[in-house]
Amino acid sequence: MAQFDKEALKTLTKLCRIECDEEALEKLLKNLKSILNYMDLLKEVDTEDVPTCNHVLEAVQNIMREDKTEETLERETFLANSPSHVGGMIRVPPVIKF
Amino acid sequence: MSHVSYEEWEPVIGLEIHIQLKTRSKLFARSPNHFGDEPNTNIDVIDTGQPGALPVLNQEAVNKAVLFGCAIDAEVASFSKFDRKSYFYPDSPRNFQITQFDKPIIIGGKVIADVEGKSKEFFIHHAHLEDDAGMLKHFTEFAGVDYNRAGVPLLEIVSEPCMFSPKDASAYAMAVKAIAQYLDVSDCNMEEGSLRIDTNISVRPRGDQTLRNKVEVKNMNSFTNMEMAIEAEIRRQVRAYTAHPHEDPAKVIASETVRFDLEKKETVSMRSKEEAKDYRYFPEPDLPPIVLSQEFIETIRKEMPELPHERFDRYVNKLGLSEYNASILVNEKGLSDYFEEGLKTCKNASSLCNWITVEFVGRLKDSGTPLFKSGILVKHIAALVNFIDQKKITGRIAKEVADIMVQVQGKDPELIIQENPNFQAVHDTSAIEPFVDQVLSENVQSVADFKAGKDKAFNFLVGQVMKLSKGKASPDVVKELLTKKIL
Amino acid sequence: MYRKTAKALRDGFIKGEYTASQIAAYFLERIQILDQDLNSFLNVTADRMMKKAEELDIKRGEGKPVGKLAGVPIALKDNLHMKGEVTTCASRFLSNYQAPFDATVTKLIEAEDGLIIGKTNLDEFAMGSSTENSAFQVTRNPWNLSCSPGGSSGGSAAAVCGRLCPISLGSDTGGSIRQPASFTGTVGFKPTYGRVSRFGLVAFGSSLDQIGPFANSVEDIAMIMEVMGRHCEYDSTSLDVTSENYLDHLSTSLQGKKIGVPWKFLEDFDGPSAEHFAKGLQAFKDLGAEIVEVNLNKIKYSIPIYYILSTAEASTNLARFDGVRYGKRSEKAESIDAIYDLSRKEGFGDEVKQRILLGTYVLSSGYQDAYYKKAQKVRTLIIREFSEAFKACDIVAIPTTPTPAFEIDSIPDPLQMYLQDLYTICANLAGLPAISLPVGLDSDKLPHSIQLLGPQLADSRVLHFAHQLEKALALSSFVPPLFDKEIKL
Repeated sequence: MAQFDKEALKTLTKLCRIECDEEALEKLLKNLKSILNYMDLLKEVDTEDVPTCNHVLEAVQNIMREDKTEETLERETFLANSPSHVGGMIRVPPVIKF
Repeated sequence: MSHVSYEEWEPVIGLEIHIQLKTRSKLFARSPNHFGDEPNTNIDVIDTGQPGALPVLNQEAVNKAVLFGCAIDAEVASFSKFDRKSYFYPDSPRNFQITQFDKPIIIGGKVIADVEGKSKEFFIHHAHLEDDAGMLKHFTEFAGVDYNRAGVPLLEIVSEPCMFSPKDASAYAMAVKAIAQYLDVSDCNMEEGSLRIDTNISVRPRGDQTLRNKVEVKNMNSFTNMEMAIEAEIRRQVRAYTAHPHEDPAKVIASETVRFDLEKKETVSMRSKEEAKDYRYFPEPDLPPIVLSQEFIETIRKEMPELPHERFDRYVNKLGLSEYNASILVNEKGLSDYFEEGLKTCKNASSLCNWITVEFVGRLKDSGTPLFKSGILVKHIAALVNFIDQKKITGRIAKEVADIMVQVQGKDPELIIQENPNFQAVHDTSAIEPFVDQVLSENVQSVADFKAGKDKAFNFLVGQVMKLSKGKASPDVVKELLTKKIL
Repeated sequence: MYRKTAKALRDGFIKGEYTASQIAAYFLERIQILDQDLNSFLNVTADRMMKKAEELDIKRGEGKPVGKLAGVPIALKDNLHMKGEVTTCASRFLSNYQAPFDATVTKLIEAEDGLIIGKTNLDEFAMGSSTENSAFQVTRNPWNLSCSPGGSSGGSAAAVCGRLCPISLGSDTGGSIRQPASFTGTVGFKPTYGRVSRFGLVAFGSSLDQIGPFANSVEDIAMIMEVMGRHCEYDSTSLDVTSENYLDHLSTSLQGKKIGVPWKFLEDFDGPSAEHFAKGLQAFKDLGAEIVEVNLNKIKYSIPIYYILSTAEASTNLARFDGVRYGKRSEKAESIDAIYDLSRKEGFGDEVKQRILLGTYVLSSGYQDAYYKKAQKVRTLIIREFSEAFKACDIVAIPTTPTPAFEIDSIPDPLQMYLQDLYTICANLAGLPAISLPVGLDSDKLPHSIQLLGPQLADSRVLHFAHQLEKALALSSFVPPLFDKEIKL
């Protein structure tokens, strides 16, 4: 893919929230370019009028459950894995409201 | 605050209304759907985005969405599906929301609402199901995240851009709220967050058919504030267009989200960051599609209760209420249900309506509690109306009884009247006769007028006797005595 | 005892030849000594296992009925939850994460008295084909310690291969059970998509993932599939079918059955792997089956499709690892944005980052049509091609891997590594049941395998054909020499 450059890669890292230093960016750029190049193989397949496959088991539909409540996750268990909590809530630095 | 001139400029408004569906469990998780509990006590592995957790759709949420669709005359999609919408925010348990992007469950639809006396039709583009996010609570040194709300089922109702004034928007929103409440699909309580409104506003020269950039104002917390915010944003846009008449409109007003400053009554741009809003929607692989048959849709449609406009028609046509009074009752389901309850023991619909909507609601206005949630029983109000009709008490006395009913909520008016001899109508002819004689002697002209055919004079005389008796005399006895003495 | 199949162990336990505690202690000791060379286990749940074994012995002593997996030690890939135990997914991000719930498969195994022995090593978040991407340790191949056991379920494969336990579970998204099975000469089975519940499996490629077993005999595979292959109401993609009795359907003759081989697609396949593949086909012929040609030319697009779809799904599945609710939170972070950016920088390995970026790209605005949607369409074409092929045959046979186990550190180029999955991905794309069965050893004493695929829902048929082939091949002494011994502490 011709347009995949450092700038495009930097935008991507912002979208998926992974900070990368210069060295990492270089390596990623090289690898991703080669992989994306290989993806171009799909261009040769004629997919006119072919539907996308969203679910491999077509027969599975309408999977729904009764509106009942069940034993929930105990707050203690939930918070036990948390990096920081206060007053029963997960604690994070102040966030700009939007 | 200057009044915006709509003459040259036409505002175009659309609303996105989110209502929380009243299910027992959440949309994709079996944790309780309940407001107001201690943080993180209504959660499970799905609501907190634990690895390995998977969503399973709640049938009741689908049923409620279908019911709503039927009530707004929309098409219930025979095929709909879910999609992932990606964005990072701490109140999101997975950093993607499960929503319906291109194949929503409800398509089209309309509501009819009364806007300043005129009946208008407003059109809906679609309504879709999605899961709610958790709540971020802001403190000075930190923020706390509570996931109780994460996963609650939402029905997002997106209107067409078919409103042209803040009043249109309010009327539409109230109509949607009323329908949702009548169907019992949602509490529609703005304070608790079960009804949330975002508005999209653009402005164009009147006569233009194209739409200019729209601006979003999020999370209105009351209908009044919404009207003010819309008004403020229209003003902001008109001012900007007017100040830059030769510039490309798309550059004058950019598509963005603004904040409504309640104190300044202004909308403020939030362009603080370059937010790349690429949500990267794609079909949710963990959820198979929803395929609904016509039979299923019909079974849901059959369950539809009386809708607001049906109730309105019944009130006006069958009960003889004025349109104004009917809409006051209908627009607040709690009040209307209260009234319906009262009708079980009182046949005088218009009087009951008046006592409820004017006398009692008026007395409770500053208390903060709606009448139908107060301790005043509607059967007591019905009884009061009946007493008036039965001439046990006068209207004037009834007002004093009402005062006491508000002060001592739950007290039976019959008891109030019994306890207070002043409230009991005086039927004793001998007690009233002196007043009648006095009035007749002091108002000779009125007597003459009446004999000459002026009926109004008679009422005047009745009124004078009532005054002398301090309202306690039985009006029937007064009329009887007057008539006897005059003729 | 290490040579015994799971079925034999259970039979022995029931007959009273040994107690569950003896079985447990035996294998725990074996792990303690031999896993030092393999590094297949990340966590050995010895106390829990001994406790369960004791309870089971008491149960049998009281004459109560015991489960289908009674006394059988089973290892779980460390992306499967055991409540209260750590699930690391071989990632620094989750090194201290305690699973708050049991995976459905864990519950099913323990309900049938299976003895879970520990959690095995994998490529981080199941992304890889060599287990070299684990943040903690490199697992080795019992046949040759300088070789990879394959991946991503390398730990589970090595554990079963080295006879550290008779059965283990892995997960397969593009071949992560079958490829390591092939490299280690074990039997590895990926069921029909939806056959086994994914509830409690840390998701990688949601529309592709399936949990499946490793064992040293097809019978053992059938045994555990009877327990695991059930409808689950916590997984919306779970098949709404009752469990099948796989063990009952292994024995009928293959006379007259048709084995489809896509010869055109396999044009360039040669070397010792091709020789072993031919050997497998010959064995089928000897059983009375007929080899027919089928057209599966589109399989060659598997790799680009897979690396578009699986990374797209993974980029969203791994978005939840953000340092907010659980897992590693960067200590340097002072704002919420920094928590995201730095925790994910510090917590994820290079391969994982690369795939998340790739997945984000193929879904992003402007590129989704060309990549994601295109891949989904070609996927439809592959599904159709298989449907056509199965009209002409009962089972499709293709190789599992193009080569045998490669040396650790010998494939630095990611694209080269991705090409390992050439023959396995198609089964995930089409949701088909597929098994890798060892055929023999080459001159380097490395195993080679054959892969059998069936139509959707034909799990029983695949196991049947595999069992017949296994009997016909009669591989004797198929235990890696280094591990083919009794040990004592």
